[in-house]
Amino acid sequence: MRAFIVLWASATLVFFITRLVPGDPAEAALGGPGSQASEEAVEAVRRQFGFDQPLVVQYGIAMLSLLRLDLGSSYALRQPVATILLDAVPGTLVLAVLALLVAWILAIGLTLAQSQGSRIAARIGDTLEIVASALPHFWLATILIAVFSTALSWFPPVSTGTPTGLVLPVVTLAVPIAGFLAQVMRGSLQEALDAPFATSALARGETRVGLRVRHALRHAALPALGLSAWAFGYLIGGAVVVETIFARPGLGRTLLSAITVRDIPVVTGVVLVSALVYVILTLVTDAVTRLVDPRTAVGGR
Amino acid sequence: MRPQLSRSSAVLATAVISALALSACSSDPEPAATGPTEGGTLTYASGDAEPTCLDPHVGGNYPQALLATQFLESLVSRDADGAIIPWLADSWTVSDDGLTWEFALADGVTFTDGTPLDADAVAANIAHLQDPATQSSTGYLAVEKVTSVEAVDDLTARFTLSEPDSALLESLSQPWLAIESPAGLERGIEENCESPIGTGPFVVESWTKQDRVTLVRNDDYTSAPADAGHDGSAYLDGIEWRFIPDSASRYAALQSGEVDVIDNVQPDVLVQAEGSDSLVELDAPRPGATNRLELNSGTAPFDDVNVREAFIRSVNVDDAVSSLFQGTAERSSSPLASVEPAAYSDESLFSFDPEAAGDLLDEAGWSETDADGFRTKDGERLTLTFPVSTNQSIPAEISLFEQLQANAAEVGFDVQLELLDLASWYEALGANEYDLVSAPYTKVGPDVLRILYHSDGITPAPSGYFANHAQVDDPAIDTLLDEASATVDDAERTSLYEEAQADVLEGFYILPLYDQQNHFLLSTDVHDARALGTVSTPSFADAWLS
Repeated sequence: MRAFIVLWASATLVFFITRLVPGDPAEAALGGPGSQASEEAVEAVRRQFGFDQPLVVQYGIAMLSLLRLDLGSSYALRQPVATILLDAVPGTLVLAVLALLVAWILAIGLTLAQSQGSRIAARIGDTLEIVASALPHFWLATILIAVFSTALSWFPPVSTGTPTGLVLPVVTLAVPIAGFLAQVMRGSLQEALDAPFATSALARGETRVGLRVRHALRHAALPALGLSAWAFGYLIGGAVVVETIFARPGLGRTLLSAITVRDIPVVTGVVLVSALVYVILTLVTDAVTRLVDPRTAVGGR
Repeated sequence: MRPQLSRSSAVLATAVISALALSACSSDPEPAATGPTEGGTLTYASGDAEPTCLDPHVGGNYPQALLATQFLESLVSRDADGAIIPWLADSWTVSDDGLTWEFALADGVTFTDGTPLDADAVAANIAHLQDPATQSSTGYLAVEKVTSVEAVDDLTARFTLSEPDSALLESLSQPWLAIESPAGLERGIEENCESPIGTGPFVVESWTKQDRVTLVRNDDYTSAPADAGHDGSAYLDGIEWRFIPDSASRYAALQSGEVDVIDNVQPDVLVQAEGSDSLVELDAPRPGATNRLELNSGTAPFDDVNVREAFIRSVNVDDAVSSLFQGTAERSSSPLASVEPAAYSDESLFSFDPEAAGDLLDEAGWSETDADGFRTKDGERLTLTFPVSTNQSIPAEISLFEQLQANAAEVGFDVQLELLDLASWYEALGANEYDLVSAPYTKVGPDVLRILYHSDGITPAPSGYFANHAQVDDPAIDTLLDEASATVDDAERTSLYEEAQADVLEGFYILPLYDQQNHFLLSTDVHDARALGTVSTPSFADAWLS
């Protein structure tokens, strides 16, 4: 039910925001903004998409078709929105999942590396995390292309349909998230290491590495796990930039071009898909948290 | 009176042959010596927006024209000197009253679906453009005066006009009026948008949205335009037409060999590439209007010609262009692109003279100055609203506007730059909320002047669009433009257009900046690519890879 409300609220917000911003959506079908189409053509399009109806009626019609799981047709692309989304989702999903995976690996590595070492190592790690989490995608992407494509020729600067083409966009998306995750993890790892159970584990003969991997990391991962659903939303935002720079097909680019021409059904579709994925991910991370943290499972709410 | 003529021809000729000439800049053998090699696939990376429909009849914008040039052809074309030349039509005649045109079509041409090119096909295409269901904008406007097209015989199409239109041939040469297979058009808008069927050197094989259009060679190609390098099918096996929106990525992809040609090359990249011996530039400025600032003469303060002149004298365009475009763009002082034989320019009107600007403002009553240094009149500040489209103005151009803003502030103009996305920008224009605007307009031939400066152009189209942003409302200019439009005699027509341009320039309605920039970078492995003399889209019909 809560998930349903989130989706309905997103759809409503998009409906009204897209109509508040300047620009005539009828032009999306007529060659984009600045169209000089004939009166008949403009009227035909207005009738076809129902722009001649009062706003409340348009809203009602839009919500009813969403209830029937009908996302409608793109004004500009003359295709069902569902088809457009199905084409775009895989690219973004691959990118987001891989980026999240790489971010986790980087974050765990960074956290473990620091917890072993000296204060200086911790300082360096700390700075690294803050810098990483603050890096804008467009800047990181440009630097990565300049270094690894233009100078070293290790990876292609644009999508090639091969795994090597994925490396730079995935890293671009992963680095800032890894920074966030590591910051959160390191704090709770330190707490766990200072906790009495850590001392007793060491007393039982657990090695330092074993302590970290088998016991403390579990605690450290919990808050970061909760962040993952949020991180996914952040990744979709980053996808707009990364997909554009690396010329990869996906939801982000679909959204950008749809907004440019005021292609409302497509904008709505992308937002709904993102909201849906966010809802699902929140449910999944909640479930995983319960698995990892027995307290939440037993105590419950 | 036509100082531009010789230069404009030279520019275009240079553009067309630069791929040849520059690739042989050192002591390399002439490409002709090795001869064209068959085979290979060329990868093109476009920075233009991905079209939403590949049929340029629908809507009708430049990204569609770029792609359509590869697989569709028009009745006529235009050569490097700006002369109309045969293409799908071998020859044509016009009646004395200018109302009846007859086109003799090339014999034996077939569309790639096997449908023969005949007079009925031409009639079907014009009907398609005029059908509201096609949702045409550019093409529909261009054939507004055509009342009917009939087949006199198989290969003769007769156009009947409602009034004489001296721009008909130029209009028909544009990719937005390309001739498509009638059988293809009958499939309906959805299917035809995916893969329009034409007579061109390549055929649309597939379109992967947001990624690429795959084009393959048309083995039966016979209909090269009169100025083509060779007859018969293309040397290339095909073209991978990729969409790479980011300028830096596009250049990186070219450097890494991922792609062979890139378009929309920005000034900073052009300068970087200058030193490279593996890249060649193709500079093909677009036809029609120059990039220029239009001064909205319909409302205060620019309803006063002295204020318009004061603004124009207050900005140092020459210095701004040379510093921000780093020698990649040449200053213009004409309403028309340098590729237009009818272009008329008058540099003396646009010299930088802040002192004169100040005097003009005094004269116009803007004689007080407020605490911030801006001129005032009756307590009101001399403010200019300047909406800028981030889709239409490249970063270098936006920086240029900022520089002009700073220049104008010295004299006392408070220029308010507003960076807007395309839809918001058109909305601001439609609401008459602008004093200054830069709105490029591409069209073959000087008839673009009628669209931009005839008082009819102040009335918005049903969609809200209007082209006369300077809101020039001068009966004398209207008369000149109407007469030019009805005059089929070339010399007479040109002189009428020159007079109209002189009036527009002397009225200080516009501040010309430079040609609409259209730079391509090609790998030196690509030979004999050229830009068509129509809307400067690249053609690869003669191109080959080494």
